[in-house]
Amino acid sequence: MRWAGHAFVGVVVFLVALPFIWMAYAAFIPPQLIFTGDIFSQLAFSLENFRVLSQEGFWDGFWGRLLFSALLTGGVTLLQLLTGFLAAYALKEGAPLLPFFLLLLAIPVELLLVPLYGLLAGLRLLDTLWALVLPFAASPFIVYLLFQGMRTVPEELLEAARLDGAGHRVLLTRILLPLLRPQLIAAGVLAFAAHWNLVLYPRIVAGSKELKTVQTWITDLQRQNPADWGPLSAAALAATLPLVIVYLLYERRIVETFEEGLKG
Amino acid sequence: MGRRSAYWFALPAVGFLGLFLLYPFLDVLRFSTWDWSGLSEPRPIGLENYWDILQDPDFYKSLRITLVFGAMTLLPFILLSILLALALDGQPYERPVKALLFLPGLVTLGGATVAWYTLFSPEYGALASLVPVPRWDQSPFWALVLVSLFTIWRHIGYGVLVVSARLKAIPKTLLEAAAVDGASPAQTFRFITLPLLRPAITYLLVIGTVLSLQSYTAVFLLTRGGPFGGTEVLGYYLYKTGFEVGRLGYAAALTVVILLLTLFFAAAQVRLLREEK
Repeated sequence: MRWAGHAFVGVVVFLVALPFIWMAYAAFIPPQLIFTGDIFSQLAFSLENFRVLSQEGFWDGFWGRLLFSALLTGGVTLLQLLTGFLAAYALKEGAPLLPFFLLLLAIPVELLLVPLYGLLAGLRLLDTLWALVLPFAASPFIVYLLFQGMRTVPEELLEAARLDGAGHRVLLTRILLPLLRPQLIAAGVLAFAAHWNLVLYPRIVAGSKELKTVQTWITDLQRQNPADWGPLSAAALAATLPLVIVYLLYERRIVETFEEGLKG
Repeated sequence: MGRRSAYWFALPAVGFLGLFLLYPFLDVLRFSTWDWSGLSEPRPIGLENYWDILQDPDFYKSLRITLVFGAMTLLPFILLSILLALALDGQPYERPVKALLFLPGLVTLGGATVAWYTLFSPEYGALASLVPVPRWDQSPFWALVLVSLFTIWRHIGYGVLVVSARLKAIPKTLLEAAAVDGASPAQTFRFITLPLLRPAITYLLVIGTVLSLQSYTAVFLLTRGGPFGGTEVLGYYLYKTGFEVGRLGYAAALTVVILLLTLFFAAAQVRLLREEK
């Protein structure tokens, strides 16, 4: 029985990891081996696929799009953490807004393509950078996660600081910010992944070349040359690796945050 | 200093969420009464869009596909979540395996699809050079299986976490007492563990139904609704009518219908499960 359990876990782990292993392997296959279809018989290593990625002009090419997406999503993440942190503080201080945020949590964002498009068109924000930023400036999920974290901060601590004459600014930056560091990191990684992984939304509201995210860039390349695995895999690996590394660094915090969220 | 002044700190979040989440959510009702392509001047047409949906064969086809997809994905997903959570519980490798299972949900979607595509493509995929791969580019059934597997792959970490959190909440003394009373491991599982896991299973079922009624990103990335419209789930049909065909008013009405369907299914499930108790 125990032995069957180990075997079962082993098989699942292999299947879940397979696309990652393949992605890493395919990125370094020399192009001539792909063309002959001879991919497993001999081990060979080549950086040719990454060189192909750099052929276009920088900003319109893969590396430019990767940088653009990293800056864009990084900025949005910081904004979400800021608005979320402040809102969580208001909730902690007794603002009667928790039902409002919980209600928003239930709204399926994926389904709001049409009305968001209409709203952005009305505000004349279509095809601008703002269309990729403003609708994500705050997230009810992040507010909720950070509020869960703030709940664990003992009230006496804040009370004592207040008696010493500390205002909101001191409470927020000197006490709550350092105490909530772990939650902020976990929330930040999740917020980053959520925005980074938007697929259809950016295509619809910001389709122009200068605003193309790396996600859209890869998907377009896959449409145009589905058989050209080498560069595709190299792009997939380069766009995925940073996220994997950040996740592995903070994995413990992220999984724990989710577990805490489930208890609440 | 009054504590109420702290309430103002919620203003940025409330403002942004009110404008870009709550307002569009309500506004979709207004759009749904329009004949509107996004470029043209909108023309109010009352409830005509809803009337058209009721008579739209593509809508019913899409609804059927969505329900098949939901059943095909949810049952294995929940079963796998329970089995994995049980197999992992208390093992030395529990942490690293859970971490790995969580990873597919976070990594770049476009990159993940590239890996899946080049691996499983039936014509020139890597796997096809070793074993025969079902022609999911020609068979709607296998295409749905592929989307289903991809969806399970992305969310299995969360499913395991939900069941596992519940599993850890079961008092060990309860299981020990059962063993002392002479219950076999199978009996203990059937009569103690499984009933106590119920809330977690209900939760996964409801959340999973909601998500499978609404998700379409995997379809867009892997099959684009094909072959022969065989993977055109409701969400994808919504996207296609709105932004490829350019009938935004009709797509808004579809949004409302999908929301109502979601509400109906979720409520029905919660009710059924409650009655069973």
